[in-house]
Amino acid sequence: MIAKMALAPERDPHVSWAPEREQPSGVAASVRGVSKRFKKSRVLEDVSFDVAEGESLVLLGASGSGKTTILRIIAGLEQPDSGRVILHGKDVTDLPARERGVGVIFQAYALFPRMTVEKNIAYGLKIRHRPRKERRETVDRLIKLVQLDQHREKYPSQLSGGQQQRVAIARTLAYKPQVLLFDEPFGALDAQTRVHLRREIRALLRQVKVPSVFITHDQEEALELGDRIAVLNEGRLEQIGTPDDVYNHPASEFVATFLGAANLLLGVATAGFVEIGTAKLPAEKETKRFRDGQSVKLVFRPEDVCVSQDANLPEGCRRLTNGVIEEVNFVGAYERLTVRLDLTHRKGDTDALYEVTINTPQRMTGVPIMVTRPKPEANALRYKTGDRVAIGLTSFSVLPNYTLARQR
Amino acid sequence: MKLSSIRHVRGFDVARPISIGMMLGIMLPLVLLPLLSIFVFGFGKGPGVFWSSLVAPEAVFALKLSMVTSFWATAFNVLFGLFAAYVLSRYDFWGRNAVIVTISLPTAIPTAVAGFALLLLWGKYGMIGRYFSENQQIMFTPYAIILANIFVTFPLAFGVIKPVFDTMSRSLEEASATIGATRLQTFWHVTLPSLRGAIVSGALLTFARAVGEFGSTILVSGNLAGRTQTAPLYIFAKFNEGQIEAANAIAIVLALLSFVIFSVLFFARDWLEFAQEA
Repeated sequence: MIAKMALAPERDPHVSWAPEREQPSGVAASVRGVSKRFKKSRVLEDVSFDVAEGESLVLLGASGSGKTTILRIIAGLEQPDSGRVILHGKDVTDLPARERGVGVIFQAYALFPRMTVEKNIAYGLKIRHRPRKERRETVDRLIKLVQLDQHREKYPSQLSGGQQQRVAIARTLAYKPQVLLFDEPFGALDAQTRVHLRREIRALLRQVKVPSVFITHDQEEALELGDRIAVLNEGRLEQIGTPDDVYNHPASEFVATFLGAANLLLGVATAGFVEIGTAKLPAEKETKRFRDGQSVKLVFRPEDVCVSQDANLPEGCRRLTNGVIEEVNFVGAYERLTVRLDLTHRKGDTDALYEVTINTPQRMTGVPIMVTRPKPEANALRYKTGDRVAIGLTSFSVLPNYTLARQR
Repeated sequence: MKLSSIRHVRGFDVARPISIGMMLGIMLPLVLLPLLSIFVFGFGKGPGVFWSSLVAPEAVFALKLSMVTSFWATAFNVLFGLFAAYVLSRYDFWGRNAVIVTISLPTAIPTAVAGFALLLLWGKYGMIGRYFSENQQIMFTPYAIILANIFVTFPLAFGVIKPVFDTMSRSLEEASATIGATRLQTFWHVTLPSLRGAIVSGALLTFARAVGEFGSTILVSGNLAGRTQTAPLYIFAKFNEGQIEAANAIAIVLALLSFVIFSVLFFARDWLEFAQEA
């Protein structure tokens, strides 16, 4: 069991765990054009980003996207082939890990098994030969901060996962790290504990104001922990922005589909519209950057779809086309509909634009999309399979349609 | 009556007492009785004879020499084993596996061969020994005994320490480095504490083996009473001279010593294995 942890109010506000910096520049850590290869495979390709003072940045990517390598490069546990790492204005690329002063919270916490909680936390000060009194005071404050007063004499093996993680954080805060690096911090925990700890850490970081970099493959975690999210795909930075930016305005198909569910339709940009077969979606703003006739992808989230049984779509909802309800599922907090859009080729063509086989003997035409509705809306108006509806979108993104992902 | 039907008689498993009895019956003459006989004969003529045999100057010298030579061989092999295990588990290089196999080789070499090989190398006419002057010769001195002990017990400490290194999580050392520790600090504060158990058990194994070493020692030491005669050689010499009591007294001491070492290894296992949790 994890003890509920309402974070202790900051007892002495003049104590800061944030790094002492030479000149406040606003940028805590900076990764500049970092590339890395392991033997023949390219792990990172020209990755650049900044972490602002007090900010928490989440590196989100699937396994093998290179996110762990970036973290290790910032920490000094790995050397980049090219590019620089700058911490508080100082180029640390050629410094060994021990001279960088970063705090790494390893996936399995890497607490020293033969040291008590106190000794683990004091380790950074001990090897810096700080006076005993200073060590004791710092440890006392940190133990209070992470609420482990009753556990200070215990060994790491006697603590729960969450407690171990707090010790790991306190151990790094003791020497005022330049930046905190979290390597999949919740990977080893069950789903419930994970959510709980995530909030704890978020609250703790707000309190100590140390810039942090998290790496994770969990999009929910990324959205909750990050002031900004950097999405990595095969060693390249796809997009970096606030959770709102990245979720609502994905810059690429990868970002759209990796962060949450997304529907994807192929179309053509024409004079203020996105044409998908016979359907015409008004998109003045969204199509501005495309030339007429350019092939595009229309990307939208299931919750951004509005459905109506008559032609009257709610305000702010742009009409796309009609469709047939194919499946209705209740999935707890919301309702999920599968709607098959009547999208056919433009006049002259007889074939359907998309052909999809579903679990019926006969081949069906049209495009299935995913729609979700919140519970009140679903309860107010129930749909059943076979209902014909009008489909509109409240929000969507238009992306260029490259046949090859590498064509940029 | 079929064999299967005698297994149980009215719910009583007959196989159990028979099996246990058989096992003890085989062990008794092979292991237990020989050990028992040492004590029976040793004290057979009363504790006075035992004691005077034990404190005879040659006997005391032989015991001391065994302890001292074994100690230095143990110290060397534990330190070297630690170093070799560190190098071989932390660095990859061409021929690494060949080195690992070679380090373990002395286990399989007959001790007499080991002693003979040392003579051929260090002896008066040996490959290296021939360049040493008459009074620099190390064969047939206590140093030769240490050398033989080192050779024979070489793989023991290494064999216990290396697996602990291999299973130790690298992130502990990495964590220590990011916190700001130098390699030496990391080794001293993080790596070494996790190896404590392995070091203790490796040292005990090495020492136990070195104290009992006979085959190589008899070749390189010259077996000179009061100068290069270790405890096992003393037992052999006294037995050949027909002084059974003298041989027996030392045999009892060596047997007790090995019991003590064995008990520590056996009963302190939990404490020793704690090292491997990390």
